[in-house]
Amino acid sequence: MSQLVDQAARVVEIARRGGAQHARATAFRSTDSGVEWRDGKTDRMQESVSMGIGLTLFVDGRYSSNSTSDLRPDALEDFVSENIAATRLLAEDPHRRLPDPTRYENRFTADLEIFDEAGARDFDAIRRRDTAARLEQAVRSAPGAEKLVSVTTACSSSVSHSAKVSSNGMRGSRQSTVFFQSAVASVRDAEGRKPRGFWADACRHVKGLLPEEQIGRRASGRALVKLGAAPVESGNYPCIIENVVADRLLGWLIAPLYGSALQQNCSFFEDLLGKKFASGALTVVDKPHLTGGLASRTYDGEGMSTAERTIFDRGVVGCFLLNTYYASKLGMQPTSGSTTNVIFPGRGRSFDELLSEMGKGILITDFSGGNSNPATGDFSVGIGGQWIEKGKTQRALSEMNLSGNHLDFWNKLLETGDDPHPFSAMRTPSLRFDKVQFSGI
Amino acid sequence: MGIDSRKTYFDSFGVDRSLVRRVIERGLSRGGDYCDVFFQHRVSRVVGLEDGEVNRTYASVDLGAGIRVLAGDSTGYAYSEDLSEKALISVASTAASIADSGPRQGPVSLKTVKIDNTYPVDVPWCDVGLEEKLPLVEQVEKRARRRDERIIKVSVNLADETSRIMIATSEGRLFEDDRPMVLIGARCVARHGDKTETGGQSASARDGLGFLSPETLERVACEAADRTTMLFEAVDAPPGEYPVVLAAGVSGILLHEAIGHGMEADFNRKGISIYADRIGKRIAPEHVTIVDDGTCERLRGSINIDDEGTAGQRTVLVENGILRSYLHDRISATHFGLDSTGSGRRQSFRYPPIPRMRNTYMLAGPHDAEEIIRSVKKGLYAEVFSNGQVHIGAGDFTFYLKHGRLIENGKLTHLVKDANLTGSGPKVLEHVDMVADDLAMYSGAGMCGKDGQRVPVGFGLPTVRVGSISVGGRGS
Repeated sequence: MSQLVDQAARVVEIARRGGAQHARATAFRSTDSGVEWRDGKTDRMQESVSMGIGLTLFVDGRYSSNSTSDLRPDALEDFVSENIAATRLLAEDPHRRLPDPTRYENRFTADLEIFDEAGARDFDAIRRRDTAARLEQAVRSAPGAEKLVSVTTACSSSVSHSAKVSSNGMRGSRQSTVFFQSAVASVRDAEGRKPRGFWADACRHVKGLLPEEQIGRRASGRALVKLGAAPVESGNYPCIIENVVADRLLGWLIAPLYGSALQQNCSFFEDLLGKKFASGALTVVDKPHLTGGLASRTYDGEGMSTAERTIFDRGVVGCFLLNTYYASKLGMQPTSGSTTNVIFPGRGRSFDELLSEMGKGILITDFSGGNSNPATGDFSVGIGGQWIEKGKTQRALSEMNLSGNHLDFWNKLLETGDDPHPFSAMRTPSLRFDKVQFSGI
Repeated sequence: MGIDSRKTYFDSFGVDRSLVRRVIERGLSRGGDYCDVFFQHRVSRVVGLEDGEVNRTYASVDLGAGIRVLAGDSTGYAYSEDLSEKALISVASTAASIADSGPRQGPVSLKTVKIDNTYPVDVPWCDVGLEEKLPLVEQVEKRARRRDERIIKVSVNLADETSRIMIATSEGRLFEDDRPMVLIGARCVARHGDKTETGGQSASARDGLGFLSPETLERVACEAADRTTMLFEAVDAPPGEYPVVLAAGVSGILLHEAIGHGMEADFNRKGISIYADRIGKRIAPEHVTIVDDGTCERLRGSINIDDEGTAGQRTVLVENGILRSYLHDRISATHFGLDSTGSGRRQSFRYPPIPRMRNTYMLAGPHDAEEIIRSVKKGLYAEVFSNGQVHIGAGDFTFYLKHGRLIENGKLTHLVKDANLTGSGPKVLEHVDMVADDLAMYSGAGMCGKDGQRVPVGFGLPTVRVGSISVGGRGS
């Protein structure tokens, strides 16, 4: 680790010597190893070490941000000097500066538990391959195996180290691991369509991975329920968005909170800070110090110390996501220009209770394509899922769209489930909505 | 940090033939069937304008080599950003471990294969100074702002890239290619009363500075502005299934999503595409011919050679409605006992190549665009799209309409915007019932994602009528 800190510090020093008044460098090194397994044998085995430098320059009131993986000493010197020269040609920008050094203080010091070094050592090529093979067996042992066309599984691990140094006193380093496994089951229906079911876990500690049987059952089950999928009539129906896919809509809702969108007048949240725009059921917290969290960190991309913040508080906009630059342009204080672990802190009811409460409506288990307009809040997205009656699955749905405007849509949120998806940085629970607009036939 | 185009490829990467041969030999040390090494040096720069000033630039340099070993259908892959002998040999050993038998001999010599360069540039991007780019970016901003007084923000990005690649194979062949790319994009925000709208336009090609002609800059600026301000008059599209007329050009994204991905032979080798086992069968009406083409002059998806060294070429996927060919890389071609179609592409040296599209389009048909619009009583004329997705096995796809117009009694009427369109790929192809004679290629920044890899692509379409597609409108 100290090597990376030294490397980052050295690059900052080269930049300073070359004429940059300020600079921030990030040095990283990661090892990624994985296997993809298909129908009884290795389809692809991959293993690599990656490294590089990111360098942000502040030269005579001007700004650039650069990266390189060419770390040959001469090339690195050239990289810095050429980018300093290029930066000098730009227009001055008084809002570009490093964070105030006080923002580096009070960094969280307890262990985030995001580094499982022993786990990474044990999870070697042989164990990854054996796990992938067992994942396939698990899919093939699950009910409905006779309909399987193909099974692909994957298993990987990644070990990352990075260090950040800035010319005004920020110095930090971190190391983390991610373990990943997945299974994809393809099944065939009578008309020759081959829907896929997918399940993946990702976690910081190898022991957090689910048992293979569970992965196999889930992948297979998620494929089989799609057989015979068809659209229903267009209309307004109550719906539940399943926990594992709800991050898509939430990501679209959060995007206009970023400083770049707000300052460029491209955000429907522009005048809504501190105001209620959604149902009281919407409370979302950004929690950077969550133990073992996939996005846990003690400092952000600019080196500012992270702290918990409430993004939405019972339907009220709790904060904007502002880095130093856009905060300055907006005349506000920086709050960190990125999210970390996004949590719904409420303790709701179980998924089955949500289903039975809804009675009749649509359960969304897949999103496809779609987009969201951050200026107006209009969105439209393809969905797949299940038609529910009396709280029970009736038939599979496909070739349908969910459309709305965020400022209206999130007012329809009735309740959130007790099932936050643990294998994602956005730990969304299942979300139950009142009638929203679907297009089908 | 730049790429010196006067240097030989070997000198650029600091390696020589003998070392590359030894690396391949190590790759085959456990008995793989085939090994290749993909060297890449990629330099890109973006200059950005916001709030009236060109006040930011982002440069990125990628240097490294990926080593691939094939044993039957199985791939061993590893890469290194360190091009020293020690690092390359170690990476080759890792990739070699996909096989498990005795060593095989590497190539005795590496013979450079001559390729035709279809995208030469007068001045390589690494030699174009920032001072030459700044006025072009400023020009686009000024032109867009002048276009309409309701425009309150304009941002412009100019991105250029040169990727120098060298591929050496265990069959003793060596390929070299310098690939330029340029992209200019403008985004506007406009305000009218209490309404705010945003829109944009881009233009991109495998070309040099000459691509950024006054006409191109004018077009990008004006279209970015118009595509923003026109949205104030938009109404919500009615939700439901109805006939859709796809305008010529960017609507080619329909082919990309509805059929193109299903033609990628890795999905068919695995038997998981809805088009597996359909070669030789009718999948569309007689007037539908679809090609995927790496040879279109300077389009984003064009390639002199693919990332396995196979020559860029034109592949007919569907000929008069009959499915003719998948898109093959080396692995799938070997699997099916065919030649590669030159479709093995990768994002960078960090990824193994997989079958990908290049420029996908439908040939012109017998109808007239106006005749097609006139033929629809109630439907949607879809003009501009932004993105799409497909479920390869189930065949259902979506693509996102930025704006279009309603068709009422054969005439274009109200503007509609921001609606997702979804349907079944095979069904939609069967229902392409009219094709016009006005094929146009999309000239913007097409990008395709698959297996976590992004590659530039192109697409095109004549005006076509599709019997019915489900439109995710917000109207009643």
